[in-house]
Amino acid sequence: MITFIIRRLLISVVLVFLISLISFFIITLTPGSPYPWGELNPKISQAVKDNYRKQFHLDEPIWNQYWYNMRGLFTGELRSIKDGRPVLERIGERLPATVSLNVCAIAISLSFGLLIGVYSARKSGQWQDTSLSTLCFTFLALPEFWVTYLLIIGLTNWVAIPLTGTVSHGILFPNEGARLLDRLWHLFLPAVMLALGGIAGQSRYVRASMLETLREDYIRTAQAKGLHPDKIFYRHALRNSLRPVITGIGSLLPALIGGAVIIETIFAYPGIGRLGYQAVLERDYPTLVALNFITAVLVLLGNLLADVLYAVVDPRVRLE
Amino acid sequence: MVRFFVYGIPVLLVALLVASFLTVASFSADRKNEITIGSIGEPTKLNPIQSAEASASQVESFLFESLLTYDQDLEIAPQLASSYTLSQTTTVYFRGPTGAFAALSYVKAARDSWAEWGLRDARAEGTRLYLEFDQPGLAASEKIFSLFNPASTLPLTTLRVETGGDARAVFQAFRDAEPDRPIERVWFDYNAAFEITVPGDGLQMVEDLKAFLEARGNTAKVDVVDTRPFLAEPLVDFRLRDDVRWHDGVPFTSKDVVFTYHAIMDETVASPRKPDFDLIQHIETPDPHRVLVTYRKPYSPALNSWMIPLLPAHILEGKPVKWWEDHFNRKPVGTGPFKFGHWKTNESLRLVPNEDYYLGRPWLDGVVFRLLPDPITMRLAFMTRQIDYWGVDPWAVKGIREDPRFTLFSYPSNAYSYVGWNLRNPLFQDLQVRRAFAHAVNVPQMIKYILYGNGVQSTGIFPPHFWFSNPDIKPLPYDPGEAKRLLDEAGWVPGPDGIRVKDGKRLSFTLITNQANEVRKDIATLVQDNLRSIGVEVKVEIYEWAVFITRFINKLEFDATVLGWTTPPDYDAYQVWHSSQSNPEQLNFVGYNNPEVDKLLVQIRQEYDPERIRQLAGEIQRIIYEDQPYLFLFVPNSTTVIWKDSLRICRPDDKGGWIDTPVEVTKAGWAYYMQWFYRPEFADRLPANREVRP
Repeated sequence: MITFIIRRLLISVVLVFLISLISFFIITLTPGSPYPWGELNPKISQAVKDNYRKQFHLDEPIWNQYWYNMRGLFTGELRSIKDGRPVLERIGERLPATVSLNVCAIAISLSFGLLIGVYSARKSGQWQDTSLSTLCFTFLALPEFWVTYLLIIGLTNWVAIPLTGTVSHGILFPNEGARLLDRLWHLFLPAVMLALGGIAGQSRYVRASMLETLREDYIRTAQAKGLHPDKIFYRHALRNSLRPVITGIGSLLPALIGGAVIIETIFAYPGIGRLGYQAVLERDYPTLVALNFITAVLVLLGNLLADVLYAVVDPRVRLE
Repeated sequence: MVRFFVYGIPVLLVALLVASFLTVASFSADRKNEITIGSIGEPTKLNPIQSAEASASQVESFLFESLLTYDQDLEIAPQLASSYTLSQTTTVYFRGPTGAFAALSYVKAARDSWAEWGLRDARAEGTRLYLEFDQPGLAASEKIFSLFNPASTLPLTTLRVETGGDARAVFQAFRDAEPDRPIERVWFDYNAAFEITVPGDGLQMVEDLKAFLEARGNTAKVDVVDTRPFLAEPLVDFRLRDDVRWHDGVPFTSKDVVFTYHAIMDETVASPRKPDFDLIQHIETPDPHRVLVTYRKPYSPALNSWMIPLLPAHILEGKPVKWWEDHFNRKPVGTGPFKFGHWKTNESLRLVPNEDYYLGRPWLDGVVFRLLPDPITMRLAFMTRQIDYWGVDPWAVKGIREDPRFTLFSYPSNAYSYVGWNLRNPLFQDLQVRRAFAHAVNVPQMIKYILYGNGVQSTGIFPPHFWFSNPDIKPLPYDPGEAKRLLDEAGWVPGPDGIRVKDGKRLSFTLITNQANEVRKDIATLVQDNLRSIGVEVKVEIYEWAVFITRFINKLEFDATVLGWTTPPDYDAYQVWHSSQSNPEQLNFVGYNNPEVDKLLVQIRQEYDPERIRQLAGEIQRIIYEDQPYLFLFVPNSTTVIWKDSLRICRPDDKGGWIDTPVEVTKAGWAYYMQWFYRPEFADRLPANREVRP
């Protein structure tokens, strides 16, 4: 297993290099170039523009630009074209908000997906199962932003409650506990909206896996032994049908810092999705280079983790 | 165990959600003594000389101050300067001392006219005659110059040497090599070029300079940029307030003014504000509270450039720009009524009151800027009182206006929208065609359906509420009949498919605009529809901003474009309309070229008399409107809404007292006194002797 991991890591290094190269060419060859002065500004002279291009090596051949960007990324000296700050700092300051949002969303989608999946499997074929399935498919089909707007417009009109950002502003809270709950409230709403699709998908997954397991021979054996149906269901069937859920956790690694542009924009949430989106619009190449690089690394690590977890959970699988 | 995971965790999560909901819902009534402002974009850096975008200026206006500012009527008023005076020294060069002496006697003989000329003093030194005027400008100097024998005077020539780097070293080497050369003035453009002014025609100097540079293997370009009969150098004399301190307690002095100027002129700073300061010859500081700025030639818009917020020399001087980025641009120090507090990137930015502000501490305990990138969220944040005001979209104005819970402020903005015709395209070179398009587009309908009535029709390059705008221009009326007649006359006749044809060419073009601006998209659609009805085919294409600007506008590769200008109340329209500004990446991207307008644009820059400025600006506006290089559409209104009675103003008056008024619209907008806003529920901290106006 150790040799397997080492070999995979070595391959990943080569892959990351190739990914960074290809993605750099894609982002720099996209039409349009950086224009950091906002709307057209009559006061900006040619000398100012030339000087600016020189500072960020935009006047040099694309190979040199790639070299400067990669060198800057590894020395930590890479600075954003937009505001001149180190890109790692720009990404780093968004990590706490992004990770907490994603952890929360993943927790919600896993736990509720499990709950609904298990319950549907339990009531398979009855009206509870049918209505939950309909609901799940509805949520899978509805556009996320539309549901979100409905929710927040409803909440605003009925209870006039603050919902944007990570904390309420301009309000006096009596103690730290209330402040903490306020933060949780601002975390929960976008997390729930982010998780909606996940809940629906996850629950279908769990339900199918459960029903398949319930048809296995050892379940019939357990029933024949006269075990209590609850015990069969939760101890024998559920545990075994959770295997795909657990191995799926590995592929969630890149999702931890993944951004959700639409939800982040609607909730004015300071996540990485908006950073990347803005960087694309502004052609902020250094920020994009860093984001792509980090994402590539996490995706490759996530795949590796999924493979390893698979072997850990299922003793029948051996990694060579 | 597994059962707990399946049922317990969801129950726990729901419980937490309900608890947090109840907490937030129950405390939203207790307000802090601060105002929260919603902003759609985030500042990149809080350094006024490095950034130029609106989201940064909004924050900077609380933190930084400048020598001059616009008052509530959009007129220039002192801020960190306590007063300022303008004057001018005109220097005439003669071939010999006798010429100068004779000229001086002519001037002395005309003593009666001194008052009319605004002449204060005249003296001769060697071959030079110095004339001191009370007002800058060329008119009086030209009149006096006409008294002299032209053969006895020497003109002055300004040469520009593009060294591409090392300009200072190259100039010094030339100086050292030929110390006897008469060089009257030298000015460095970054370190990439220098300009020298020499008496005489300067042609010999050009040759000598070229020879000198060639001998050193330097391929610099030498050009004559200007030849003048005399040197006219305006002087602005600023007296500074002596009671101002930076937020860290260090007194504000003339050193800070000089530092800010040098920083702007520094190429490593790459300030977008530099062109405003290019005409400064030098700055002197006779004492810590006086600044003398000498200009290279009369240029009246230069006064506006002193609205540049000033930077603290004691923090930034001698530090590289990278240090600024890391230590200043995200926690700036200014002299304004609020100090920098805390910045959570992409979320909020907090300012705290400056306890030692020289006009008195602000009433609020904080100003918070919240980044709300989505317009619907912005509206919801206002409705839940998460932000104190909201810039209402045109479509929502009607409902808000009728709602008794709100107070609405609506006033013309300093902006206008237009369709720009690329005049390099033969189709648009015909004035008749442009006028036909102007008659064919129904602007009143556009204002009604796109702006919901919140705007007025544009009458050219200056919005009607600017003091120098020409009130006599009548907008071209919507008249499709006239439009068709003009096109027929121009030779464009309807073809088989209804689209007009001339010489086998269809009357068809592409109209481009940028994404993420609904109003511009709607304009493009209406223009397309209106022009279709007179037999013109318009294809609309929409691009994201970075592509739109760098791929099409900057490269001048477009037929027509929907755009808008946001302009300060400044009559200097040179960059947008002068024919020299129509190269790639410049702002006269439609390629407008009218020699008469070129002349007026140069002339208005040298004019200091408000009445003359009004005449010239009106003339420029009239000619450009008649030429229709743009199809001028409308000046939209700025509309802002606050909760009724949620804010008031208590501001200092001129006599050391205080005035307490409701929030009202001034010419400079509703937010002009924002630093003096207070919340009525915290009125107990206001001074007792204030004059209350209901």
